[in-house]
Parts: sequence; C-alpha cells; structure tokens
Amino acid sequence: MALISARALTKRYGSQVTALDKLTLDVEPGIIGLVGANGAGKSTLLKILLGLLTPTSGSAEVLGMDVTTQGPTIRGLVGYMPEHDCLPPDLTATEFVSHMARIAGLPASAARERTAEVLRHVGLYEERYRQIGGYSTGMKQRVKLAQALVHDPRLLLLDEPTNGLDPAGRDEMLGLVKRTGTEFGIATIVASHLLGEIERVCTYLLAIDAGRLLRSAPIASFTERTGTLAVEVEDGTDALAARLTDRGLVARVDGRAVLVDLPDEAPYDIVRDTVEELGLSLTRLEQRRHRLEDLFEADHAA
Amino acid sequence: MPPDTMPPAPLEAGSSTPSSGAIYDLGYRRYDGPRLGRWHAISTLFWASLRAAFGMGRSGRAKIVPWGLAVFALIPALVAVAIIALIGEGISPFTYDNYLWQVQITFALFVAAQAPELVNSDMRHRVLALYFSHPLERLDYAAAKLGALVAALLLLALTPQLVLFAGNLLTSTDVVAGLRDQAGALPQIIGTSLLYAVTLSSIGIAIAAFTPRRAYATGAIIAFFLVTGAVSTILGEATRGSLSDWAPLIDPFALIDGTRDWLLGASIDESPVTGSSVPLPIFGGVLAAVVALAVAVIALRYQRVEA
Repeated sequence: MALISARALTKRYGSQVTALDKLTLDVEPGIIGLVGANGAGKSTLLKILLGLLTPTSGSAEVLGMDVTTQGPTIRGLVGYMPEHDCLPPDLTATEFVSHMARIAGLPASAARERTAEVLRHVGLYEERYRQIGGYSTGMKQRVKLAQALVHDPRLLLLDEPTNGLDPAGRDEMLGLVKRTGTEFGIATIVASHLLGEIERVCTYLLAIDAGRLLRSAPIASFTERTGTLAVEVEDGTDALAARLTDRGLVARVDGRAVLVDLPDEAPYDIVRDTVEELGLSLTRLEQRRHRLEDLFEADHAA
Repeated sequence: MPPDTMPPAPLEAGSSTPSSGAIYDLGYRRYDGPRLGRWHAISTLFWASLRAAFGMGRSGRAKIVPWGLAVFALIPALVAVAIIALIGEGISPFTYDNYLWQVQITFALFVAAQAPELVNSDMRHRVLALYFSHPLERLDYAAAKLGALVAALLLLALTPQLVLFAGNLLTSTDVVAGLRDQAGALPQIIGTSLLYAVTLSSIGIAIAAFTPRRAYATGAIIAFFLVTGAVSTILGEATRGSLSDWAPLIDPFALIDGTRDWLLGASIDESPVTGSSVPLPIFGGVLAAVVALAVAVIALRYQRVEA
C-alpha cells in the first residue's frame, strides 16, 4: 500500500494563487523529505493530506484513505507538527502533551503513560513540569514533536521541524527525527526548505517548486550527481586551484575556498597530496551541502 | 566519602551493561490500546475547558477572578440564610425568582473574564491548528467550548440558590412540609439558571471568537452589556408610551427575565419587564432569536477561522 498518493492534485486560493498544480505522486513508507522554497506549496500539501484543506481538483490518498471523505480517520492515525508556534504558554509540557493524547483518543491512563515515554524520548526531563512559556525554542520544538508522536501515529507530518533552532539544536532535532523514523519505523514526511537537512535524515526526496513536482526519487540518486569539496588553506588559494586543475580535477576559487567537484572518492587523496606538496596549511576540508537552488537550476536546465 | 566508594553512577539510557539503579531504555513501544475517537475528544476538551473556566490546574492568579466572582454571587445567599436563621422566615429580600437578577453583574463579569480564557488563548497561540489536526471537527471544538462555559455559569447560578434552598429547608419548623414547599421552587431554580447560562455564554463566546487578543475580547463583552443596558434604561426613562415599553427588549438581562416570567411565572419588582406592556412571549421570542444568532455566529466563525 502506498503511504501517500496524489492524482492531478490542484489547490488554488481564489483565482490568482495556485499553490499546487496537478501534482501526481506515489510514495512508499520511509523517511520522506519534502523540499521546496518558501511558498512552493509544502504546507498546503501537508494540510490537504490531513484533510484540513479541500483540493480544488484531483484526489489524494493517505494510508489508502481518501483525504476528502475520510479526514477524521486519517487525522486519528497521523501526527502533525506545524511549522509555526502552537503551544499554550500557561501549561506544563506534561499537562499539554497528555491533553493532546486524550484529544487523539487515548484513555486517560494510557495518555499519562505515553506522555512520560514520549517526553523522555524527545529529551525533556525535569523541565517537563515547568510552564511551556518559559521554554527555549529548542524545547518548544521538542514538545511539538512529542505531541505529534504521543498517540503512536502511523504517519508523522513534520513541517520545518528545525525552524528557529541554532546549529546544535538542528543537529539534535534531525537526530531525533531520524531515530523516530528508522528505529521506531514510523513513516515520516519532513517538509523543509533546506536540502542539506533533508539529505541527512531522509531516504526519499520529493522536490516541489511553484506547486509542481520537480523530482521524486530515492535520496541516493541526488547525492551522486553534484558533490562538491570545499578546501580552505591559509595562503596560496590560487596556487592550489591551479595545481589541482593541472591534475585533472574540476577546481575553481570561490572566495577563500577552492571548490572541487567530487565525481568519486579520488579527489580526496589528490587534494591531500597537493596541499602537502605545496607546503600549505590546511584549515578546512568540507563536503558542501547542496543548495536547493543548485538542484533546481540543474533541473530547469535539463 | 572517598570517591572510590561512591555508588556507581546511573548509566546512560541504552547502555549495554546496566547495573542497579540504571535507567533502562525500553525502546519505543507501540500503542495498540483503544482509540476512542471523536466523542472522547469532545468530552476531553469540554472537561479541560470547564476546569480552565475556574482556573483549575492554572496559576493562583488565574483563579482570583472566577472564584472571587463565585463568592460574590454566593454572599447574598449566605446573608439571606443567616437572616432566616436568626430572625425568621418570610423577610428575606432574596427569592428564587429574583436571586440571579440581583447578582447579574457577577454573571456579566464572569463571562467577560472567562469566555476569552476559553477561546482566545487557543487562537492567539495557534493551538487551534493542533486541535483541528485531530479527529475533532471545527464545530466540535466550538460546541465543547460553548458547553463548558454554559456548565460553568450553571455552577455559578445553581450554587447560591441551592444554598438558599438548603437554608430554607433546615430552618423550617417542619422539614417535611418545608421540603414540599421548597420542591415547588426547583423548576424556577433550574430553569432560571439555564436561561442565564445559555444566553450569556453564547453571547460571550460569539464576541470573544472574533479576536485573538484577550483584553480586547473582555473589553468588548463588558461594552456590549454596558451599552445594551444603558440604551435600554435611557430609552425607558426618556421616552413615553410604546417606545418606553419596548426598551427592555434591548437589554439581554431584561430579555432573560421576561422569558423567565413567561415560562416560569412570578414577576419581580426590580425588573423593567414588570412595568412594560409588551406581551411576555415576545421576550421569549426575541431571546430565542438572540441566542440562535449568537450560536450561528460562533458556528460560522469557527468554520472559517484560520488555524
């Protein structure tokens, strides 16, 4: 059974704005990245899958159920983490998550038990007895994830789960998402405008742009194509780039870094040897995350 | 105590060699118990909202207004019972007919303070988006919130009248005869309480549902009761004849009292309804229209509100 499928799914707001334009896709369970620029239609798609928005035309199914007629049943089996703030400041995490568990249909005792488990899973310990209003952004994101998980959904919909987090917070949240999807086996859709994040946690990627499906493929097929290695040395950036080009690599200077194309593993050794030969001091060696724009430009050009 | 005799520190979750006192990571456990669905969600929201209406489970500050108003509504009943006990029956200024009319200001203030408590926070902090992503429909949410405020006002209205009821019963010389006398008042007590609770709750929620800002909602509800009451009084005093007679129809409290008079009997001196020549069923009709309009406004608003 397909996790989600859509047939010519279209959503217009008024007569001017087309949020989704004849979207057709079939996705199997896994951790699915839904990537697109702001306004590409990610949140609209998630809301249609939840049965909260009615498509203008076309159809969509979640877990084999039609979104327009079986919305309540779908919502009982799906956990949703919105992009925006959605937490009451005057309740504690424990009170709020257990309340949402009961709203999702769990009896009171099961709600209490699962609240404790899920809050521990997302890494909230003693703080869970404090009012949410005093939480950091990172803690609030964890509570949002916890309320989406507490009723043990078959499908998790996460809308920009790393929104507003610092780099360390992003890493932790992404680790949490990956663990939830792989160890617990809960199918997950992660919407993000950051391709780098999607790449780190997802097994499958859906790219949409202006409401159209740009790509739908396993994540591996993207990473093979456009790897870039950024090399920074203290002095001699130009000399390094020239020598690397001599050795048959595609290298160019970009600010303080030399960017080297990575068709395979070979450039790593060549870069190491060249830096050593020139006697340069290496300050940074990093595989560049692909930027969404690159991906989209490549696809538009193709 | 030297460090080497310290008990072993608890191991991290997931450690492969747990010892005593360790935290065991049981891993993720699936939930395969019952999923109770929509009605369970509605009743959960109703009870949580009813508790919130009295500041239960909230900070002490959130309890001051609702409990303070509940005490204000109760004091006249306690005084009346004291008078009956000390001096004797028959001289109490409070009857079941006029009790709620006398303490109507506490109802207006309770609705102004607590209707926003129930609906504005969810809108302002966008908790609505979470509610609507569960098997709870938009109208279910509105119904649970309205129901909770009606229940809260019923508690506020019934408690003092039942105190009065108990006081009258316990001080009567013949308890059995007293019970027979007093039992006749039960329809009046319950019916009047229902009229106040349903009317004021639906007006309060209908106004509060239009703004996410709690202070604006409270101000708007107070303004509504003040303006309707003032316009009704001014029209009643400053004009003569039929216009003056119809003036009470503007005041929601007069509408409630007129309907009470029509359905349950017993005019009260304090109410402008008593001096009006407008037939009582018209009060009932206008009140029904006002409540229907308020409920329709709530339903439409929650069908469309952004979540």
